[in-house]
Amino acid sequence: MAIVVKRDGRKVPFDEERIRHAMEMAFRAEIACPYPDPLAADVDDRVRHLTETVVDRLRAHGSSEYPIEQIQDEVERSLMAAGEYAVARRYIIYREARAARREGERLRVSAGGGRDLLIERGTLRQEIAEVCRGVVPPSEAEALYQEIVSGLYPGISIADYQQAKILAARTRIEREPGFSRVAARLVLDAIYREVARRPVVHGSFDYVGTFRTYLERGVELGRLSPQLLEFDLERMARALRPERDDAFGVLGIQILYDRYLIHDQGRRIEAPQHMWMRVAMGLSLGEREREERAIEFYEVLSTHRYVTSTPTLFNSGTAFPQMSSCFLTTVPDDLRGIFESIQDNAMLSKWSGGLGNDWTPVRALGAHIHGTNGNSQGIIPFLSVANATAVAVNQGGKRKGAVCAYLEAWHLDFPQFIELRRNVGDERLRTPDMNIAAWIPDLFMQRVSEHGSWTLFSPNEVPDLHDLYGQAFRQRYEEYEVAAERGELRQFQRVSAAELWRKLLSVLFETGHPWITFKDPCNIRSPQDHVGRVHSSNLCTEITLNTKPSLDEDGEIAVCNLGSVNLAGHIRNGALDTELLAQTVRVAMRALDNVIDLNLYPVEAARRSNLRHRPVGLGIMGFQDALYKLGISYASEEAVTFADYSMEVISYHAILASARLAAERGPYPSFTGSKWDRGLLPIDTIALLRQERGGEVDMDESTSLDWGPVRSAIREHGMRNSNCMAIAPTATIANIIGVSESIEPTYANLFAKSNLSGDFTVINESMVADLRATGLWDDQMVNDLKYYDGSLQDIDRVPDALKHKYLTVFETDPTWFVACAAARQKWIDQSQSFNLYSSGTSGRALSDLYLLAWRSGLKTTYYLRTLAATQIEKSTLDVNRYGVQPRWMRSKSASANVVVRRDTPSPVTVKACALDDPDCEACQ
Amino acid sequence: MSSAIIGPGRVRVADKRLINAEAVDVNQLMPIKYAWAWEHYQNGLRNHWVPSEVPMLKDIEQWRAPDVLTPGERVLVMRNLGFFATAESLVANNIVLAIFRHVTNPECRQYLLRQAFEEAVHTHTFHYVVESLGLDEGEVFNAYREIPAITAKDAFELELTAAVLQPGFSTTTFEGAQCFLENLIGYYVILEGILFYSGFAMILSLKRRNLMPGIGQQFEYILRDETIHLNFGVDLINGIRHERPDLWTPDFQTKATEAIERAVGLEIAYAKDCLPQGVLGLTAGMFEDYVRYVANRRLERIGLVPVYGERPNPFPWLSETIDLRKQQNFFERKVTEYQSQSALTWED
Repeated sequence: MAIVVKRDGRKVPFDEERIRHAMEMAFRAEIACPYPDPLAADVDDRVRHLTETVVDRLRAHGSSEYPIEQIQDEVERSLMAAGEYAVARRYIIYREARAARREGERLRVSAGGGRDLLIERGTLRQEIAEVCRGVVPPSEAEALYQEIVSGLYPGISIADYQQAKILAARTRIEREPGFSRVAARLVLDAIYREVARRPVVHGSFDYVGTFRTYLERGVELGRLSPQLLEFDLERMARALRPERDDAFGVLGIQILYDRYLIHDQGRRIEAPQHMWMRVAMGLSLGEREREERAIEFYEVLSTHRYVTSTPTLFNSGTAFPQMSSCFLTTVPDDLRGIFESIQDNAMLSKWSGGLGNDWTPVRALGAHIHGTNGNSQGIIPFLSVANATAVAVNQGGKRKGAVCAYLEAWHLDFPQFIELRRNVGDERLRTPDMNIAAWIPDLFMQRVSEHGSWTLFSPNEVPDLHDLYGQAFRQRYEEYEVAAERGELRQFQRVSAAELWRKLLSVLFETGHPWITFKDPCNIRSPQDHVGRVHSSNLCTEITLNTKPSLDEDGEIAVCNLGSVNLAGHIRNGALDTELLAQTVRVAMRALDNVIDLNLYPVEAARRSNLRHRPVGLGIMGFQDALYKLGISYASEEAVTFADYSMEVISYHAILASARLAAERGPYPSFTGSKWDRGLLPIDTIALLRQERGGEVDMDESTSLDWGPVRSAIREHGMRNSNCMAIAPTATIANIIGVSESIEPTYANLFAKSNLSGDFTVINESMVADLRATGLWDDQMVNDLKYYDGSLQDIDRVPDALKHKYLTVFETDPTWFVACAAARQKWIDQSQSFNLYSSGTSGRALSDLYLLAWRSGLKTTYYLRTLAATQIEKSTLDVNRYGVQPRWMRSKSASANVVVRRDTPSPVTVKACALDDPDCEACQ
Repeated sequence: MSSAIIGPGRVRVADKRLINAEAVDVNQLMPIKYAWAWEHYQNGLRNHWVPSEVPMLKDIEQWRAPDVLTPGERVLVMRNLGFFATAESLVANNIVLAIFRHVTNPECRQYLLRQAFEEAVHTHTFHYVVESLGLDEGEVFNAYREIPAITAKDAFELELTAAVLQPGFSTTTFEGAQCFLENLIGYYVILEGILFYSGFAMILSLKRRNLMPGIGQQFEYILRDETIHLNFGVDLINGIRHERPDLWTPDFQTKATEAIERAVGLEIAYAKDCLPQGVLGLTAGMFEDYVRYVANRRLERIGLVPVYGERPNPFPWLSETIDLRKQQNFFERKVTEYQSQSALTWED
């Protein structure tokens, strides 16, 4: 006899009458004939016939045991096969309603090794209430609990069970930003469990007690430097502030968990406050008062006022302290030298450095090779090798190898070079994993403006051009043009400057590359013009340091150590707290200077140059958030003024701090003869740029602080560092502490950030607060924001003032960004990772924008970001309500006239069946 | 001058029709009547991508590691590769063999040519994935013959193609025109609008957890293309409805709705086949809701009444994964939001 297996595993005899009854009820619902009114004979026949079909189908499975779900599936299938779609629909709705009523009390979780864990629903509910406390309302906590439960299934692994909680919390962030902290707390609990190596109840992790064991374990595993154990560990442990973990959002904590916290075979051995302290202690190893200094560093780090660059976070205090972010090299025109440069790339990449390679010296395609009497293939094939190297060496598995190749705009291979990132054409002439940048002399920009011609050369025939800049470059370049005309050069090509410029902008628009960087301002305003040339910038276009081919005995690979001040963290009571900022900058400069001496240098030429010049790059992040706190729109004069003033304050204190470090530790070895030594501060070099260009530079030279004390400190002590400032992208560290990246404007008020840890919803919390205050934050607002891609502009009920304050990046006139960047560039002795954005498709507008950037005296630009033409259909939004045609379509189709009707099956279904009767198991 | 084969005079807007236009010689676009079709075509161009742009190293690493993917997740990946590897070519064949001939409007044909190319790119994608991961190509590319849930989906579609390929088929008859509409609904609304969507959600759920990110990114590109395919199809169907309201009889509407219901059944069965047990965030049961949710909105797009009642998307996380505009960390991910340079204009 056949047996039915119920959901709880009980077995009962099979009774086909129950199937018949269930089907009858579904038919009754459809034809609105409530039980027990008599059923029409033909309907009754259909029911009987279908019941037989179901029984036959069940028998065909060949087993005499029928799981209940299987029976129900067969009923559904038979109804569909018989064309009874409407009845099937009733049956499905009925079945769903029954399923919703079933809810056991315990969750079965698989703990591995065949062991199961039973988790009381009450325990889970309590845990969720706990992690939600104080950041989201209790009703939200309950909803979260319900959502977690709905996604669980019996036998889910314990790891997946833990992750399910975090994922469910993350999903709710778009409606309630507080869930970012809820999710962060769940991740933190996972970290604490791993560090403590046992279950930890929320809120009970013992930071202080685990500190010493953490360090000892790290040293034992060969991960941490044994020198850390020489500190007064009692004192250091007491300085830890566990409550600061609660400042993390989920994006930040997930990034730390995935890649920053030190682990042993996938298990974290340090928690976030341990990490800040490890970094702080690692930076104090050479200090006389090391505990005091370390605590000082810890304070700025753990309060998120200043964060060191990623390599420093990764490696400070470890057994392999490579802490520098950037390396710049120049590749010589020599086969051995080329491959040594690629070897250098590999070694530097391994230790998390980003690379800028200057390829300009290498001869072009078709150039004569003396030794073989053959012709060169130019730089492109070598760049393919560099590309492959970047892929092969992936920064110790932590992030992708990152390289940028630079080429000066007069190089004969330049037109092929700029196409390296396109996705069409010969793949062997492409470098999909490498970045490229154009190194552009002022003369080229002038020729573009004058609609003049431009001549391309092979560097082996014009060997001195690359090292010249300003008027000297112009003179020599024009001599070579004359020589070419006279037939004295073997290779050259004359093109229209404007056409090459258009080509450049076209590929930039399509691929975001090559980045456009300006050779002359980088050199003219460089403090180190007395000891070399800036040949390129770096991976993120904010470093402008000298390089020399490393084949030479005194070859130099430029190195830069970076760190960034969180500007938003220094806005107190609606104003910039300059005292706090001065203190942060002083501590930060000391930490940066320490890196130079403690650093592990993967190659000798890097050590040599870094100890000789000691450049550092202090930058900023949270600029946009600071504007929000001040109630300023990025698109305003006030923003330009703030960019100017805040950078002046930072510049003032950074330079002063370096001069004071010189007093304590001595000036950097190549100080004599530098611009600093000649009494020229960054603000004084704008005039030089104007002079060399022989024309206007649209950069203001006003100051608002008294720079006298800085000048006299430099005169008295010299400088500890050849360069002090560079604004890095902070693409990861800003996310760790949850502020806007670098000087970046808001991408969108609601968007997803995609990085190595996955996709994360980011909602503009400042905007949510403002909308809440005006009573406008509701589900409809969330839907509208999604529909309009995070823009407030088309949402009628939002007040104009908020629309202006929360303009997103593609809605802002980009000239405001250029104006702010120019205001900052006044004060910076290196450069900034300055992205440009373009929402339109006008080449003319794009050209104007880049000409403006050049005329404004910017040294470099970074990515050009544009928008994709179309999107994926929005899946969680009732898009049809907004119209059947998608938002991007400009042309109307007949779809625009489709009327969306919303008739739903009547709720009779549920009533007609005895669903309320707990004893009825008609279909169970 | 005119010949027997080329009509006299110039092409007039008033004579243009989506189907059954009288003169069809060359694909003469001007003057454009259906600007939406031309716009879809241009958007397709701007979105140009090729699978080899997407790095597969991480996927290879994860696929080869013994403990990164669970057995359930591996089944899910293999099933979806198996389905899509040939389904994209099904669409391409239907365009070239069945649809193109009967759509008599040049701007729509221009889009169809673009779409056919995109289907080729998508098929190429699965070839690229299989090669990169070193999968058993026989298993993936024969799944449509060996996995019943996939066979059923493909068979459903092939019947629709076959109907249009019958000797003597013509859209000039009432029945023929209705049959053609059925084909359009079957491919654009059902195959590209419903039968692709469980697979999209499954792969994107892995991507959400940072698993198989290369395949995930390829699915994102494909989904972006598919969104246009669906919109073009919906515009075409609604356009024909508008020009030939007589075709849209109550019986036809019932038939179309039932076809969608049949497809929903097939898609749910497919989801169950892909998910014999749950994987994190996904159970087969959730797909019953999801497929019906998707089907409801498809019905609405062509003016039919949704039959599954109001229901939310059971995967709210899709919001983060696909609805929100994406900002990539350019150190770590290749930025996908660029347009081809043909979109740039240099007006003087």
